[in-house]
Amino acid sequence: MLIKLTGGTVYDPTNGIDGQKQDIYIQDGRIVAAAPADLPIDREYDLNGKVVMSGAIDLHTHIGGGKGNISRTLLPEDHRMDPVARTAITRSGNGHAMPSTYVTGYRYAEMGYTAAFEPAVLPVNARQAHMEMADIPILDKGGYVMLGSDDFLLRMLTAKKDQNAINDYVAWTLQAAKGIGIKVVNAGGINAFKFNQRKLDLDEKNSHYDVTPRQILQTLSRAVKELGLTHPLHVHGCNLGVPGNIETTLNTIQGIEGLPLHLTHIQFHSYGKEGDYKFSSGAAQIAEAINRNKNITADVGQVLFGQTVTASGDSMRQHYNHRFASPNKWVCMDIECDAGCGIVPFKYRDQNFVNALQWAIGLEIFLLVEDPWRIFLTTDHPNGAPFMSYPHLIRLLMDKSFRNDMLATIHPDAQKMTTLASIDREYSFREIAILTRAGAARIIGLKDRGALSPGNWADITVYTENADRQAMFSKPDYVFKDGELVVKDGEVVHVKWGTTHVVRPDFDKSIEQDLQKYFDRFLTMKLGNFKISDDEITEDGRGSITVHPLKERA
Amino acid sequence: MSALTFTMKRRPDQRVDMSPLVCQKLQAMEPDQIAAIELQNGNSKIRVDQLFDISGSDSQNIVIEGSFDKLDFIGKELDGGAMTVNGDAGAYLAINMKAGTIKVKGRAGIYAGCEMKNGFLEIEGDAGDFVGGALPGNKQGMKGGTVLIKGNAGARVGDHMRRGQILIEGDAGDYCGSRMLAGTIAVMGDTGRYPGYAMRRGTLLLWRRPRLSATFNDCGSHTLAFLPLLFASFKTLNSRFADSSVCFSRVQRFGGDMAESGSGEVLVRI
Repeated sequence: MLIKLTGGTVYDPTNGIDGQKQDIYIQDGRIVAAAPADLPIDREYDLNGKVVMSGAIDLHTHIGGGKGNISRTLLPEDHRMDPVARTAITRSGNGHAMPSTYVTGYRYAEMGYTAAFEPAVLPVNARQAHMEMADIPILDKGGYVMLGSDDFLLRMLTAKKDQNAINDYVAWTLQAAKGIGIKVVNAGGINAFKFNQRKLDLDEKNSHYDVTPRQILQTLSRAVKELGLTHPLHVHGCNLGVPGNIETTLNTIQGIEGLPLHLTHIQFHSYGKEGDYKFSSGAAQIAEAINRNKNITADVGQVLFGQTVTASGDSMRQHYNHRFASPNKWVCMDIECDAGCGIVPFKYRDQNFVNALQWAIGLEIFLLVEDPWRIFLTTDHPNGAPFMSYPHLIRLLMDKSFRNDMLATIHPDAQKMTTLASIDREYSFREIAILTRAGAARIIGLKDRGALSPGNWADITVYTENADRQAMFSKPDYVFKDGELVVKDGEVVHVKWGTTHVVRPDFDKSIEQDLQKYFDRFLTMKLGNFKISDDEITEDGRGSITVHPLKERA
Repeated sequence: MSALTFTMKRRPDQRVDMSPLVCQKLQAMEPDQIAAIELQNGNSKIRVDQLFDISGSDSQNIVIEGSFDKLDFIGKELDGGAMTVNGDAGAYLAINMKAGTIKVKGRAGIYAGCEMKNGFLEIEGDAGDFVGGALPGNKQGMKGGTVLIKGNAGARVGDHMRRGQILIEGDAGDYCGSRMLAGTIAVMGDTGRYPGYAMRRGTLLLWRRPRLSATFNDCGSHTLAFLPLLFASFKTLNSRFADSSVCFSRVQRFGGDMAESGSGEVLVRI
């Protein structure tokens, strides 16, 4: 099968292509440099005047794991408002804040996305997360395995085990839970909550283990580096949402001593406490710190107005936030020795000072971070807003007058507390392609996605240029997944199944002796059952596993 | 002008969403337009004139003849006018009703008067579970108006009810008044298990002694001056509630549910 995409205007930052007209050839699912002379072209698409990018990649979106189902159970009214009927090729479901699995896949694909990564795979619940993602059609997926509040690691730190032993444990867990990266959520804070601590600063000791968040972050980011993972330690910092938490965030950046660190939904960690409301923007300082520290990357976690639900492993902060639940209902739960979970529905209002300023802070960070390769476009779906709002967010970034029009409608006091109006920057297509494609693939470590290089899988999105960027990015003309046309004119025309991206760092097998004893003594699950086998992902005939290479071990 | 009457021609196997056939939606429509309205029927659509013979023209007075228990959402969001259902009604009868009158000669399915805002709903037969309740996930059920049930009601009468009154001449099922926020539920017959379960405020007015859970406190016997006034307000109803011989003002008062804020009350005739 040979497909030719003719005459499109291509934005492929990885290969330095910035709006040049270029033909693209796809042979058997992969991009090839030129058509083989002896093969006829089976299908040609005339893309003259169209914008061509690789398929978009969401590096932080909550699409799998127990918190999704808890949210769905907690908010039946949210599903009721957005029913999706089946068609001849798609299945029925529901949309909005936490869509059903099938609808998640369709709607992502209909916006031109071809991969999405679940950032909070609890090892003990990893099987459920993978099974849920296995029901998400079209998209490639993967997960970051959550460590840092787990009893086993904290015991190791208390016992001052050496870094190699910790590396073995991290690698073993990563393989057992089938992840591509390591995530930390409120390092040690979820655990401290279990010992009745209701806040935990970066240098505050967990009352039971005598371990500080800073130690956990340093140890795990060192483990990630030494194991050779491409994706840096994925950090949901301490003190999420607390006014004044910018100090903690800056301290986290300084204290990591140059190790690679990805700070996720950084908008929620960029708050000062100036002004009449004791709540202010720390975006300028955060952006400056990111600009200065090349080891730091961040995704924004933009807040957009409307009803959503916040679903997080950070039971400590979610428990505090439950008082802001709208509608007034919430769930916090403990997840045995691993971590916790909190679900709090939120309605972000443009006439609420704090929500309005959160909106502005997110945009300030987007616009003040200079290097597009180190900042990523997320709403922390569904925590800042459902992923369906990405085209709106892209328009806010690309269209200054639209942004200023929106700014003029938010809470007047919030307008006074933001520098947004004075920022002239507008994102270019190239920069959007970096944020949502090239940069995301690079930071996750996907070796053959996110760029239109020969040899790469042909995940390609084609848009019609439109001055209304929201309309443009809402409805691509064509989306190809692994070379197959899956979306035409913004609607799914063909359903296929993506792969699961993983890494497999080595570990010393003797770690299992300690783990075996620990599992038998403390956990509800047996060690043998804890480990997910490849078959469980591939045996239904839809799923597959793609193993990505590691860097040289330091 | 005679009532706009929909007479059932045949009973489809699948359920029918009747929500387009309410007074305010039909007001400005010609007869052929009404006939052409498509109703959701299971997973397909069906024209009104395929299901019903249509006669009469007064869209403010709608009659459904030969109704049966698969006609759901009758009187949804009704905003004035009268509807009469000769036969049974399906689920979600009078859901979100805002004003007007609905009378059902037969029985009603689950969620009758669900999240009703105002108006009057009368059911001559039995009603299913969740009369005046909230849809799953929603925090407030019925917010106003009156529901009169001449037969028995199912479980969870007035679940999350916020305001208004539900009058039941027969029995009520389990969890009557569960999670009530406010409002009044009066039951002449028996109540099932756990009446007032997790109620915050509001009144259960009972003619017979209920089986209350341990989280209701006996507050003694009282003569309450508001009760004759309440009964006087029922005088215009075509109901046993209008009969002065059923009135009383002397009650045993129980406060609860103490597992919640405990400001609710169960008043039992003595």
